[in-house]
Amino acid sequence: MVFPTIQFAIFFPIVLALSWALMKRQLVWKPFILAASYVFYSAANPLFCLMLAGLTLANQATARLVHRTEDERRRRQIVATAVAIDLGTLGVFKYYGFFAEEVNAVLDTFGLGLPLPLAAIALPIGISFIVFQAISYTVDVHRRLIEPASTIDFALYLSFFPHLVAGPIVRAREFIPQLAKPRDPTKVAVGAGVFLIVVGLVKKVAIADFLAREIVDPVFGVPQAYSAPDVALAGYAYAVQIFCDFSGYTDIAIGLALLMGFVFPQNFDRPYRAQTFREFWRRWHMTLSRFLRDFLYIPLGGSRGGKLRTARNLMITMVLGGLWHGAAWGFVLWGTIHGLALVAEQVLRERARFTLPGWLRWAIVFHVVVLAWIPFRAPDLSLAGTFVSRLADWGPATLWTLPVVGIVVIVIGLQLVANKPLDVIRVRFESLHPAALGASMATVIVLVTATVSSQGVPPFIYFQF
Amino acid sequence: MPRKDPFILQRPTGRPVRARDALVCVLVAVVALLVVKGQSIRGSGERMEPGVERTVVLAVGHPAGWVADRIGIGDDVERLTAALSPDDALGGEGGFNDTVPTTDSPAAGAPKGAVVPVTPDAFDPAALGGKPATLPKLGTLLVAGDSLADGLDVEMARRLADSGVRTVRDANLGTGISKSDLLDWGREAVSQVRKEKPDAVVFFLGANEGFPFDAADGTSIDCCGPRWAAEYATRARQMMQTFRRDGDARVYWLTLPLPRSEPRQEIARSVNAAILAAAQPYRAQVRMLDMTEVFTPGGRYRAAMDVKGRSTIVRKADGIHLNDAGATLAADIIIDRLNADFATLGPG
Repeated sequence: MVFPTIQFAIFFPIVLALSWALMKRQLVWKPFILAASYVFYSAANPLFCLMLAGLTLANQATARLVHRTEDERRRRQIVATAVAIDLGTLGVFKYYGFFAEEVNAVLDTFGLGLPLPLAAIALPIGISFIVFQAISYTVDVHRRLIEPASTIDFALYLSFFPHLVAGPIVRAREFIPQLAKPRDPTKVAVGAGVFLIVVGLVKKVAIADFLAREIVDPVFGVPQAYSAPDVALAGYAYAVQIFCDFSGYTDIAIGLALLMGFVFPQNFDRPYRAQTFREFWRRWHMTLSRFLRDFLYIPLGGSRGGKLRTARNLMITMVLGGLWHGAAWGFVLWGTIHGLALVAEQVLRERARFTLPGWLRWAIVFHVVVLAWIPFRAPDLSLAGTFVSRLADWGPATLWTLPVVGIVVIVIGLQLVANKPLDVIRVRFESLHPAALGASMATVIVLVTATVSSQGVPPFIYFQF
Repeated sequence: MPRKDPFILQRPTGRPVRARDALVCVLVAVVALLVVKGQSIRGSGERMEPGVERTVVLAVGHPAGWVADRIGIGDDVERLTAALSPDDALGGEGGFNDTVPTTDSPAAGAPKGAVVPVTPDAFDPAALGGKPATLPKLGTLLVAGDSLADGLDVEMARRLADSGVRTVRDANLGTGISKSDLLDWGREAVSQVRKEKPDAVVFFLGANEGFPFDAADGTSIDCCGPRWAAEYATRARQMMQTFRRDGDARVYWLTLPLPRSEPRQEIARSVNAAILAAAQPYRAQVRMLDMTEVFTPGGRYRAAMDVKGRSTIVRKADGIHLNDAGATLAADIIIDRLNADFATLGPG
């Protein structure tokens, strides 16, 4: 079920009303929300619920086992088993086809006819997010940062529908304590929730989908048909599209959770204002950055062990972070570019005897980020190469329209201005009477749905990850 | 107690109010939307494929549509926001429901017992052992259809970009010939031919078929018997007649590779039979490209097949669409036919 659809608009008010009606009776509320979340997930494919339930039971069993076990070696073996189950599930669904085709190609090259069976495996939406949250729970129990939750609490943590399919990647220690007692029905952040839902809808439907339709999809699809001005604008437009698409989803997810009385961590903080790559990763997909830091970079040794080892750890983390998005060389290249940028930045920070002005640092970081999005978005590396080569081919600007250029400039520009003036608008909106908030939400929904083509709202980009 | 993580900024959550206020807020929004968008909700439900979701949406959509019909605000809002819509306004001509019987459609308009003459257009010269009549140059190619054409259109555009062929992409997701309330393909064909004047049209559609047709007597013609296929064929023939531009253009209509699911296979077989029948009077210009046999030989679904000596996945996981490799294979077949029909691909 996608957020901006009629199905969800019917589903959510019913679930919200029943959730608050049942909130005081936790023995009823928890199974109800669990069932609602599984109904939400089954809309994509009911069979995916089996995978979700399987991961829940496997991780809960290993978390309990690791908690009961005293011997550290044994505890490590148990947690390694759990992580292997999680990553194995991810690998089968997400990487098997890619792996089998690549292995078969190599075997063919050497004339070895032992092909792996090929199958078009349906990718359960949000599997990467589900797997990461499951790993974080089991590992945090192993690290004794949290105690194992009850099975229903853990099942709710993994499946809670606002964050189920595209995050934010909520840590167990952030969410499970919120299940300890009923949410306070006198302290619901309705204004903040509605504001985020409205902003998220505008970002996704009116901005991201508009840019995709008008410039990004045509140019990335057939870059050889366009010259430098269109290709360059498409590059900037994709940077805006993916930000609005993904942060729009996150805004809606956080807003829905707030209406239900739950607080999720923030996932984006104006990433395109970053003046260093390190800062970019503290502002972009913050919950993924945090996950990669805590479960990959630091276990690899982090910045301990010298410069070379730090550089190696950064590269491994970023390349695997790229591969997390999917089995394609474009994602690997995207992660590699970011890894190299982080390593170069670290070397310069230690050795350079000068400091670049802020605007120049911003320009460099921003343009490297935009450049890295090209292999991320292009259907394959060959087309990414064509896209870049077209930047040197000057010709007419056929897709430069006022709405496209205006939206790209405004979205990037808004990230550069100070927070305060925008916060004033937000606080005023959030203070409106609930009925006025509802009317505002309806007005925005009517306006943004008017911009939807007859073919409906395309899925969020991050659903495929 | 959760450890505070400095990496995550805590967003101010605004003035907290009561849960009841949250419900008031959502209720106001829901009521406003039901009044304004009631007709759209009903329409969307009617366009959905049968199942639980359709039932639920229609359970809300029917009463909401009834209320919206009586209040009438929806039409005003629709008019006021029409400028925001990305959809092209189609002209009034060529719609499936205003088809005028012509001599080109043998069944329609013929006196009882009369035989409609077969015209030379019914014969592909190649089938008679002659040389295919080649057209001088392919300047503009229209690639149209539903989600099946999405991907194939990009592949065709890429392959022909260097030769200078202008490829117009018109994939309309979720549409179908038996689902004309979302997009009337009869009108769309007329509109595209007028606007783009294509030298060739590649048409690949059929992922959303199986919806009932309304018969002239007010009854419903359900998929997938001879009456349904006949109605489908009549509509497809009307589009072929539009696309072939009185013989000035070539049409490449792709038959459906069978989908994985059995009920969908029944629809696909009916669609394939219908379009083969529809093309019969125009075989001189309309080429039926057999994707059924290429991707599902012997009527058996397969996800992977041998492509250039390598076992390759050619279908998407949904068991309906072609993936990139499948689209590439389909494009190879189309380009072979284009090369046979046109002296040069490109402006020449």
